[in-house]
Amino acid sequence: MDEPGNSLVFTGSTMFVIVVSAGILVPLFYRFGPYDFVGEPLQSPSWAYLFGTDQLGRDIFSRTFHAVYRDMGVAFLGVSIPFITGTLIGIILGISKSKKTTSLIGSVIDGINAFPLLILAVASIAFLGPGLSSVIIILSLVNWARYAKIARTKAVVVSKANYIEAAYTLGYPKRRIFRKHIGPNVSSETIAYALSDFIIVILLVAGLSFLGLAATPPAAEWGAMISEGRPYLISSPWVSTFPGIALCWSAISLSLVVDGLNRREGKV
Amino acid sequence: MAQAAGATGKTEQKVVDNRKVFAFEIGFRLIRAMAVSFWVTVIAFLMMRIAPGDPARAALGLEATEEEVAILRKQLGLDRPLYEQFINFFTGVLRGDFGISLSFNREVSDIIFTALPTSLWLVLLTFIMGWSIVIPLALFVATSKSVIVAYLFRSTTAISIALPNFFIALILILLIGHPLFGYTPEFPENLGYLWLPAFVMVSSGGIAIMTRILASSISDTLKEEYVETGVFRGISRFRFLFYYLLKPSLAPTVALAAFGLGTAIGTTAIIESIFSIPGVGTELLAAVNGRDYPTVQALTFIFGVMVVFISFIGDLLAYWLDRRVKL
Repeated sequence: MDEPGNSLVFTGSTMFVIVVSAGILVPLFYRFGPYDFVGEPLQSPSWAYLFGTDQLGRDIFSRTFHAVYRDMGVAFLGVSIPFITGTLIGIILGISKSKKTTSLIGSVIDGINAFPLLILAVASIAFLGPGLSSVIIILSLVNWARYAKIARTKAVVVSKANYIEAAYTLGYPKRRIFRKHIGPNVSSETIAYALSDFIIVILLVAGLSFLGLAATPPAAEWGAMISEGRPYLISSPWVSTFPGIALCWSAISLSLVVDGLNRREGKV
Repeated sequence: MAQAAGATGKTEQKVVDNRKVFAFEIGFRLIRAMAVSFWVTVIAFLMMRIAPGDPARAALGLEATEEEVAILRKQLGLDRPLYEQFINFFTGVLRGDFGISLSFNREVSDIIFTALPTSLWLVLLTFIMGWSIVIPLALFVATSKSVIVAYLFRSTTAISIALPNFFIALILILLIGHPLFGYTPEFPENLGYLWLPAFVMVSSGGIAIMTRILASSISDTLKEEYVETGVFRGISRFRFLFYYLLKPSLAPTVALAAFGLGTAIGTTAIIESIFSIPGVGTELLAAVNGRDYPTVQALTFIFGVMVVFISFIGDLLAYWLDRRVKL
């Protein structure tokens, strides 16, 4: 509490840890599997079925937490792959001396970033076919450009800093300067973006699954489950609501962490 | 030129320079927007290439005969070399000709022109709604001295960034779907309720960040000396809020609003389908599900170009509001 933002980071990370540990513990120890038909369809939440049952009589509690590793896992891959490639490309562009190549690639990056991410993802699924792997592929192909843009701007600033010049004067090899000085300084910036990107990607994966383009039924995935519960929204709202709350919970936990970190650094 | 003007006097030099700089800045942004549009075209064209195997075969499915696939390859121009395909696609785009839809046997441009106006109305409504919430809210938060207001604002915006818009849309339909409100999800009655999807698009994401940025630039403006002078001179509250505080603070938010609007355009794909609005987003989904490749390409291109155009306008506006803005 002493520093502004610490309480936000604490609340957010606690919420995140709760959902991740439930995602690990429930598949290990809970008595119902995500695809088991355990009882009558559309039963309301009770002690026997904590979150009720869905239209096929599957346990929603089990399905909601089985979805954690799928949603979080896809989001993790979909963030970390573009994070690595984008940061590397951005740094190379930032310290490169060839003006022509950098401005050419720079305008390609602007071109990719011009598209709304959701549109590119939806459109490319027409060519790749629906599935979670398609989402990871398209994120790897496209999302690096946002990281590259941030990394490039930062790398230009860093490579002109005095300590880099000092390192050159001291005769350190280029690779060492790249790894020990430029890399960490640039990636601190892209890591900050990666955290907020994680929110965007979690929502994207669920949104695409909701449209039937990523995870498809019977897969236990939040977006797909919300979509499956749509016809019963009024009569049995729990079918859509619990996976929806899990999705909101996860995204909000990350958002609080991002906000707390920003606040500590005095950003808006 | 500038030197000659400088010799004749300081005022004149300023005028000449300003005009030149202004023209240069506009030209620079225009060229950049055009370069980006070119890459948008290239990306929309190359999309079909990320498919593993033959796109024509993928579109028709495994049951199709070799002849059918060959005919489609010819229709899509896949039998010609890649550079020729690109030239055809590019000149087609310039003429507004995107080929023929595979599922409906209609001109793709025809599909675009019927669907686009609906989506543009939705986006315009989102835009108006967004600004009419952002401006008063930001003014209120920035001029309020209450800690509780600041804390509430901070936490609400942090949460609203993370809300999945499709889930919010479902809950809203659940609430408004009550017969009391008379909402009918069927087209065309639902067009009277266009504010509903617009509200969903406004509430998720963009608006929170915009309000934050605007509130923080207003707080910065509050520290400027001329604002204090204004208070001393006893100007009216309205004049104080809008001329002294808002106008000088708008530039960063305007630049951001263009970006936010681009994201909002992207979410039409999901929001339109939930509210059954026959716009470009719905058409894109239908084309994706029907593996209608020319339509997918064309709509992707349209989305990209719309965003480029909007950010260009946003850039210009931000520059016009504050000449110090450099992008």
